[in-house]
Amino acid sequence: MTPDDPPMLYRFIPFLFLALAGCVSHGPALNAIDRSLPERVELTETPFFPQEDYQCGPAALATVLRASGVDTTSEALVPEVYLPGRQGSLQTELIASTRTHGRLPYLLAPGIEDIAAELAAGRPVLVLQNLLLRSLPQWHYAVVVGYDRDEEQVILRSGTTQRLVMSTRKFQKTWALADRWALLPLQPGDAPARPDLDRYMAAAAGLEATGRVDAATASYTRAQSLWPQAALPWLGLANLAYARGDFPVAENAYVAAIERDPTNAAARNNLAETLARRGCVNDAKREIVRALEFAQGTSLEKDVMATATRLQGLRDEGTCPAS
Amino acid sequence: MKSLLQRALVYVLALSVLGLSSPVVVEAQIIGTLAAVEAQQRDKDLATVNGALAREEVRQKMTEMGVDAQQLDARIAAMTDSELRSLATDIESMPAGGDALAVIGIVFLVLLILEAVGVIDIFKKFP
Repeated sequence: MTPDDPPMLYRFIPFLFLALAGCVSHGPALNAIDRSLPERVELTETPFFPQEDYQCGPAALATVLRASGVDTTSEALVPEVYLPGRQGSLQTELIASTRTHGRLPYLLAPGIEDIAAELAAGRPVLVLQNLLLRSLPQWHYAVVVGYDRDEEQVILRSGTTQRLVMSTRKFQKTWALADRWALLPLQPGDAPARPDLDRYMAAAAGLEATGRVDAATASYTRAQSLWPQAALPWLGLANLAYARGDFPVAENAYVAAIERDPTNAAARNNLAETLARRGCVNDAKREIVRALEFAQGTSLEKDVMATATRLQGLRDEGTCPAS
Repeated sequence: MKSLLQRALVYVLALSVLGLSSPVVVEAQIIGTLAAVEAQQRDKDLATVNGALAREEVRQKMTEMGVDAQQLDARIAAMTDSELRSLATDIESMPAGGDALAVIGIVFLVLLILEAVGVIDIFKKFP
């Protein structure tokens, strides 16, 4: 070893980088995705909002909201999603703002194939990227507007760059470091290219919980036709009917939900409430016992217990109409 | 002989006891669709913080973080209880997408430090 040679330790640095880059697989290449998807897609009509300082959140959100038909701009969204104390925008607030603008905030399944499928359907997708390290994150929002299978490239609206071309590999890495978070604002009643019941219902129920009744109704109705055998869309429509005081419709829909999933404690609990409300206390008590059985050990247990306790205090007056 | 006062007291007590034993009217409350969806999707991670409490905490933290009072209500109203709960605990640490340009600054800083301690030697061309 001559005096000019660098110390032994430094010789390992290139190997260290190779190990970091090579050992971790961040997901498949575009070449490996579903063959039925097009070779390349680029949604050139997607608007572009060059971001101001730290404001890639409002810029990226404005891009996808505009693409879904909402008349908004990057500046208009700053007061809705920018958090000065963090010099950035939180994922939760992008979701909340999507609701405010009457869109269903659908979170895509964590695969590049799911993004590609949306692009093929003409919808750009908002993604979170971590451009640095897991331990020293640099969070950034961008919008995927295209891909090219041959070139192994992803095309983004990113920061101040209108058309950022990134290798699939680099995209997969930065996206994986952000837990592959991808937001797709949908018009209520529209379905994603590869619909997932749980993801769709979580997004739709969020609309209901924040008072977006019309958007929730349209989404549940669509879910009903997408998954005719699922209980949750019926539960959602039943709860909306109950909330507007349409109890006969609510009761039928709860029954339909229970037919599809006899273990659904929420549907049984709410059916019990509806039955008690029209004087069928004995039926209600029977129903709440089943609800208790299925709610055990779940987060619903406390609520079902409360209903059961309340029903316990009621007496059947024989006012239940014979069915 | 019982005084009028004693008799009145008996009445008041009797009424209050009756009042206690009469069925307390509780507002019927159905289980929300979101609660049902969340109950199916995660069996653990049970909510420990009360929704209203979380809402208040988020309101306070977001005010401290510089959110305009006029916008605060609308921003919070569009969030679900579970979102408010996660914000209440993690708002300081959860990912906040900001500026891509800052990366260049950090990379430059790291290179500068490596140069200064002699690990790399890429700035030698500059005096």
